Amino acid sequence: MKRTISYIKQWCRDWYSVFGQEMKQIFSDSGVLVIFFLAGLAYPVLYGFIYGNSSVDDMPVAIVDHCGSPGSREFTRKLDATRELHIACTCADMGEAERLMQQRKVKGIVMIPADFEEKIASAEQATVSTYADMSSFLYYKNLTMGVNMVMLDTMHSIQASRFYAAGYGKEDVSRLVQPVRYEENLPYNRNFAYNIFFLSAVLLLVIQQTMFYGMSMLTGTMREEKRSISVLPVSLKGRGLSRTVAGRGAAYWLIYMGIGVYVAVLTPWMFGMPRNCSFREILVLLLFYVSACVVFSLTFSSLVRRRETVFVLFLFMSPVCLFLTGFSWPESSFPGFWKAFSYLFPSTFAVKAFINMNTAGAGLSMAAPQLAALTVQIIVYYILSCMIVFTENRLKSRHPGRLLR
Amino acid sequence: MGRLKDIKAVIRRELRLMRQRPVYLLASVGVMTFCCIFFLTLLRDGFPKDLPTGVVDLDNSSLSRNFIRQTDATELGKTIGFASYTEAREAMQTGKIDAFIVIPEGFYDDVLSGRQPVLAFYVNSLYFVGGALSYKNLLSMVNLTSGAVQRELLRAKGLSEEEITGLIQPIAIDAHQIGNVTTDYGVYLTNVLIPGILEAIIILVTVYALGSELKYGTSRHLLEKAGGSMSVAMAGKLIPYTILFTVIGVICNLVLYGWAGFPMAGSVWNMMLGTLLLVLASESVAFFIIGTLPVLRLAISISALYSVLGFSLAGFTFPVEAMPAAIQGFASLFPLRHYYQMFVQEAIFASGFSGWYMQAVYLLLFMFLPPLVYRRLQKAYIFQNYPRK
Repeated sequence: MKRTISYIKQWCRDWYSVFGQEMKQIFSDSGVLVIFFLAGLAYPVLYGFIYGNSSVDDMPVAIVDHCGSPGSREFTRKLDATRELHIACTCADMGEAERLMQQRKVKGIVMIPADFEEKIASAEQATVSTYADMSSFLYYKNLTMGVNMVMLDTMHSIQASRFYAAGYGKEDVSRLVQPVRYEENLPYNRNFAYNIFFLSAVLLLVIQQTMFYGMSMLTGTMREEKRSISVLPVSLKGRGLSRTVAGRGAAYWLIYMGIGVYVAVLTPWMFGMPRNCSFREILVLLLFYVSACVVFSLTFSSLVRRRETVFVLFLFMSPVCLFLTGFSWPESSFPGFWKAFSYLFPSTFAVKAFINMNTAGAGLSMAAPQLAALTVQIIVYYILSCMIVFTENRLKSRHPGRLLR
Repeated sequence: MGRLKDIKAVIRRELRLMRQRPVYLLASVGVMTFCCIFFLTLLRDGFPKDLPTGVVDLDNSSLSRNFIRQTDATELGKTIGFASYTEAREAMQTGKIDAFIVIPEGFYDDVLSGRQPVLAFYVNSLYFVGGALSYKNLLSMVNLTSGAVQRELLRAKGLSEEEITGLIQPIAIDAHQIGNVTTDYGVYLTNVLIPGILEAIIILVTVYALGSELKYGTSRHLLEKAGGSMSVAMAGKLIPYTILFTVIGVICNLVLYGWAGFPMAGSVWNMMLGTLLLVLASESVAFFIIGTLPVLRLAISISALYSVLGFSLAGFTFPVEAMPAAIQGFASLFPLRHYYQMFVQEAIFASGFSGWYMQAVYLLLFMFLPPLVYRRLQKAYIFQNYPRK
């Protein structure tokens, strides 16, 4: 019993000394502070500003009206009235409109053919042509949605007038025009706002990436200064892996729980994004995610040999990890290999849980699969980081100086 | 002649450094290879197929089952049945499905007796691509169902098929997508992401190459090799990287527009010219960063922060003109922004050099950055008077 108590006491003392040492390291390194605090705190705000307008409204389009009839002018007016489109130019022919599009003055062209009115009058099908600038998908989306809405609206009024003409009563006409009605609900992001979509994914990714970069910089520095990352207390003679890993990790964990609350709770609040989840539940998610990020970073930062190379070698992982969360290209269309690859990163699960919880209002219990996956990551990466410290220690005692090049 | 010999000596020294430190080749060739493979394989379908779409069929009639079959038959959707609204909603909230539709009880009967039943559909627009496509798909399915019912009703009234078509759909839309006919998502993203990653790599590797001379205190040795001339030293140091990055850029263009067959309305040679300008502009930015902050550890952090922002501010996902005015000005400080505009003119609109000469001018303007900090970096190289750690 006494031995157990003294063991625990010693464990805590060692743990605390490693923890304090790591904290001192972090706060005496300006480069790491820039990454942790400047990047961690400024990036969410910057992205909030960049995507602040959240949607492209009144996109300029050119109209080529070969028909020039009341019907086609009505169609044009309705296009202009949509939220998506704004008729910037009325062109005499396609050549002129194409030139405007090439000069990027308009982002789309709508062409109404000469027989538009005639076809409708003779109860045939009239065709309206659209030409979308595919340099951004939002242009395409705006043109498609705007024209489709006007088309459906015009279609219903044409149908109605035809049925009236055929002698149907009001009741019958409504039934014939819309035998089935529909009701659309886009509950979580009504207007396809870009900031809600992008920020929900990028916010949590900032935590993982900045932590990994910062920790790797410190690891690189230790290596350069001919110190090992296995900062085992000398008295332990190669034992006590756990307290080393836990002590180092706790320093980052403490800092990042603070940054995490700022990123995941304060930033959405600042930019008026949806917050459909209680603070307590987000905090629980952060507990899992930050812990997973710490052990993930402890494991992979050991690959870094020199301080600055982490950015040179691994900066490209930021966009890669972002796509691996499946926020843009749907996960159901991932090739199997990349799906498996995405399981390496805590962000894959945490971003999904965050989107579901914070924006779609899913409860913590509905995020159980993601939390379970994060738990598996925590265990696996913890064991791995202990093994790395163990191996490094072995090598260090056998070939002093060799690992430390 | 002496200068030329000195430049050669510096180049030889740089090539030796590149051999000794694998980071240079890993960061350039290795990273670009990985990214090309990653984006080309991840987005290889171009268009997501069989998006999971939920159906809550409370009617279970021949009409509702037909609706499900029809949706399954489209390339876009794959239906998953749910017993209740709550179940389907939970599946959508957890991201398992992007959208679901509720077919109400008595749907078929209501249609037959003209009571105009309501089909309610719900879309998770948090996942942009999946959400938007499912939304479009469901909308067209609902309209098709409506059309099919209309057709039945009109047939019963004795109208001919031709009359019916004119009545059901008096207007059709003939959509053309300029520059990306198949609305291929992979084409749209990869075309800009790959040059974006190239820009980031150029900036980071150049800053690292120039800054490590300071960090490891070898800058005087470099100047000695260059016969004491800073311009010779810089020329000798940057020539190998310029060639390396340009070759990588050219290979990327060949991969994208040749091997992967991405649409290219203009000339691929003009794209090569654009790539060369991107390389020069990015190197100039890197020179400016390390010249302003001749401390490698800080310069590399700043470069990383800068390069990551470049992706958002290029404006290929969310257009720059929809951003706040201050951000719009800020966006022109990134070479990738001008490269993207060049790419649009050349690859999408085939306007040729006359359509994007201003972008070329902007990219060349970046080359005025190095002279601003040239003296400062020279002093740092000579006196090594900045902290190394």
